[in-house]
Amino acid sequence: MILDLHTHSEASEDSRAPVETYLKWLARKREALPIDGIVLTEHRQWNSHADYRALEDAYGLVILRGAEVETDYGHVLVYGVNEDITRRFDFTNVRLSAQELIPAVAHMGGIAVPCHPGRPTIGLCEHYETKPPIDGVVAVEALNGGSRRGENERVHALIERYGYHAFGGSDSHLVSFIGICATEFDHEIRTIDDLVQTLFQGGYRPLDFRDQLRKVS
Amino acid sequence: MALELDRSIIGSEFDRTIFDPVTDAEVAEYAAASTEPQPDQTIASPTFVVRLRGRRFMPSNLPPDLGRAAFDAGKDIEWGAPIRVGDVLTAVSTVHDIYEKTGRSGSMRFLVLRTVITNQRSEQVAVIDQRMMFR
Repeated sequence: MILDLHTHSEASEDSRAPVETYLKWLARKREALPIDGIVLTEHRQWNSHADYRALEDAYGLVILRGAEVETDYGHVLVYGVNEDITRRFDFTNVRLSAQELIPAVAHMGGIAVPCHPGRPTIGLCEHYETKPPIDGVVAVEALNGGSRRGENERVHALIERYGYHAFGGSDSHLVSFIGICATEFDHEIRTIDDLVQTLFQGGYRPLDFRDQLRKVS
Repeated sequence: MALELDRSIIGSEFDRTIFDPVTDAEVAEYAAASTEPQPDQTIASPTFVVRLRGRRFMPSNLPPDLGRAAFDAGKDIEWGAPIRVGDVLTAVSTVHDIYEKTGRSGSMRFLVLRTVITNQRSEQVAVIDQRMMFR
C-alpha cells in the first residue's frame, strides 16, 4: 500500500490546491502514480471537523489527516492528532520544543516525526550539528518532494547514525506535485491509528515517482 | 506558548474609502490596458477591482516586532457581484491576520489585509486578501 504522507491543501495559507483536485489528478495519473491515499498535513493547524469520507468513497482513495508544526529543531509532522495533543500544544506557535513535543505526542497516542531533515534552518540535520539528539524520534522523512538538490541526500547519514525509519512524502502545495514522493507500507493502512502504529513499528520505505512521471508524460 | 507577535490589531478597520461613480471611460480604459475581453461595455471585467486604491494601504499601528522590511507576498481575490458603470463602490480594509512561520531562510512574519468592496446596493463586489511579508 502506498500513501503520500505529506501534503498541503488550500487549508494551508501557502497552497491553493483543493483536496478533490488532488484526487482527480491522482485518478488521471494512475499509471505513473499508483498512490492509494494521501495524508493532509496542513501548516500549524488542526481542524477537528474536517471530514473527507465522501471524497474517499467517490475516488476510492484513503484520506487521512495530520499536521505540520514548527519546532526549535525544524518542522515536524504530527499524526494521530487528538484533543489531548491540541490542548497541550499550540500548533500556531513556531517555537515549539521538539524535545517536549515528540515524546509527549507519543505518550498521548500519536506520533511526531521530523520532515525534510536536510533543509537548512527548518531541518533536523542542521540542528543536530549544534544540539543534542531528540529523545523518541523513530522515523524521519528521508524523501521530500519539495526539497532542493542535496537536501534529501543529507538525510542518509542521519538515518544511518541514529537508526531512524525512513518515509517519504511529496510536500505538495500544487496539484501536479501530489504523490511525486510517497511511502510504501508492507501492511494495509486504513485509519490514522493504523498509520501511527505502523510508523512506530517499521515495515515501510520511501518511494520516488518523479522519473516514472517524466517517462509517462 | 502563544505567538510572540502582538495580534491585538486583528479585526481593526484602518481604511474606508468611498469612490466616485464608476465611469464608462474607466471601464473601457481598464479593458484596453488589461486586454481582457469586455463583451458588455457597461460591465467592468472582474479584475477591475485591483485598480481601486483606498486612502491608506497599511494600518498605522502595526506591532513594532513585525519587522521593518516588507514585500508583497501575493493576494487572493474572491469576486461577487459584477461592477457596472455608475456603481458607487466602497472599500473597507481591516487587519485580517498576523502570523509567523519558519522557512529555509529563517523566521517570517505575515500581515494579511482584507479589503471588502461593496456597491451602493450593499452587494459584495470583491474580497481581497493582501499578504505582506516582514522580516
